[in-house]
Amino acid sequence: MILEVRDIRMSYANARKEVFNLLNGVDMAVEEGKVTALIGGNGAGKTTLFNIVSGFEKGFKGQVILEGNDISKLSAHKISLMGLGRLFQGRQLMDDLTLMENMKIASDDTTGENPFDCFFRRKKVAASEAAKEQQAINILVRVFGEDNKYLKMLNHKASELSYGEQRLIAMARLLIGNDRLLLLDEPTSGVNPRYIDTFRTIIRDMVEKEGQTVLLIEHNMSFVRSVADHCHYLADGKIIKSGPTAEVLDDPVIRKDYLGL
Amino acid sequence: MEYLLHIGIMLCIYIILVLSTNLTVGMANLLTMCQAAFYGVGAYIGTYFLMHFNLPFVLIALIVMFATGLTSLVISYASVKLKGDYFILGTLGFQMIVYTILYNWVNVTRGPYGIPGIPSIKLFGVWSVTGIYAYFFFALVLAVSVALIFNQLQRSPYGRMLKAIRTDELSAQALGRNTVQLKAWAFFISAAFAGVAGLVYASYVSYIDPTSFTLDESIFIITALFIGGIGSRVWGPIVGAAVVVILPELLRFVGLPDAVAANLRQVIYGLALVVLMFLRPQGLLGDAKLK
Repeated sequence: MILEVRDIRMSYANARKEVFNLLNGVDMAVEEGKVTALIGGNGAGKTTLFNIVSGFEKGFKGQVILEGNDISKLSAHKISLMGLGRLFQGRQLMDDLTLMENMKIASDDTTGENPFDCFFRRKKVAASEAAKEQQAINILVRVFGEDNKYLKMLNHKASELSYGEQRLIAMARLLIGNDRLLLLDEPTSGVNPRYIDTFRTIIRDMVEKEGQTVLLIEHNMSFVRSVADHCHYLADGKIIKSGPTAEVLDDPVIRKDYLGL
Repeated sequence: MEYLLHIGIMLCIYIILVLSTNLTVGMANLLTMCQAAFYGVGAYIGTYFLMHFNLPFVLIALIVMFATGLTSLVISYASVKLKGDYFILGTLGFQMIVYTILYNWVNVTRGPYGIPGIPSIKLFGVWSVTGIYAYFFFALVLAVSVALIFNQLQRSPYGRMLKAIRTDELSAQALGRNTVQLKAWAFFISAAFAGVAGLVYASYVSYIDPTSFTLDESIFIITALFIGGIGSRVWGPIVGAAVVVILPELLRFVGLPDAVAANLRQVIYGLALVVLMFLRPQGLLGDAKLK
């Protein structure tokens, strides 16, 4: 298993100091080289669990084990350096940066990202920048085709792209780094249905061609059925059911409580 | 002519100050109210070395930059623990602490009496920069050099990461970037160059006292930055510095009494800031807005 989450407990207090147990002993395992879906109702704690795994939420009890290493106390950027990539819900590309700049910052190569390199290692920085540009172009061509319009928009600000396009490119750039596990938080949320196939293709590429593992949160069940090998259902602060996707989605209790069928 | 050269020298000093402030405020979206504290620390440390050692300017400048940069570690630490408005208040507190130390540590800083007779800068330890013409040329070369340095920084991958932090720090962390370290570098460099501006000011005016490095001065520097424009271009800070330095001099020719002119200047800056925040929050030449 590439990721194991053991007995995660997380509670919070509201303004009246009433304590709510959001996660109440979550145990979950993610198999390497597969696509796993995490489903559950709104407010079930799915994104909170993602925040805990990726280091953005502390103050929890339990353990997070990534490739055999306990990452529970590590900071978010250190966890990322260990090979965990994340697509946030509601966050796409960085508006103030150009499309090319957004692609470059996804690279694991940090040459030049300190204040001295641009003065004392100019050749290395120039070579690194050229390599990052080529890598970005290669990814855009691979995902969107040879003559895609984004190749002409590399120096445009990301804010000029639509929400769906930004989401797509944010997904595509996850192919740039050497991440072993990708956490995708509602990748198709708010996206035009005509882009869904592209999302599906990117995810299959991540797993089959790049050897990455994907854990995704989704409310689009047809998308989950078509792309996820395995599924966990989170409710009442615990994983209630785990198993092959069809088995979980066809469970009568889940169909009634979550899908409303 | 000497009057114009004096304005030119002060303009060059403020260009360095405002450029240094843009690195943290404009590039990294870290609004600080303590740039005058670093300016003052640099002035006092520089004064100590000018008065007690016969060292070339470059060496004193490096010492001042390093020492002033070290004091910025306090702010760096604050930026980890404090966010948003609390961070700004933290920098305000730092400004007040530095001013209080400069004012009250009389044995070292001479407090309100100030330090007179500060010698001129020596280039290469031999040639003193004396006379207003020499100072103007020196300040101009320094300001242009600093502008080129910041231009290079802002266009570099490091500048790109500061922009990324400004836009979305969480996403930058999720991409494996140590944003605490990146911001700490920004604070260090910003403080270091503010310190250099202090060194040049001290040697040019040949007298310093704590009243030159108050909260008012920090607000003045921030005002200049917002008027000129924040973000990834050097022209914004340069234009902002020009506006705040030259405007009061122009008011002298309007014929207002000196007492009124001084207060009117503050009113005009305040009005300019309010109007700009409505019409063009990124400033005259800026390409970013505070978030």
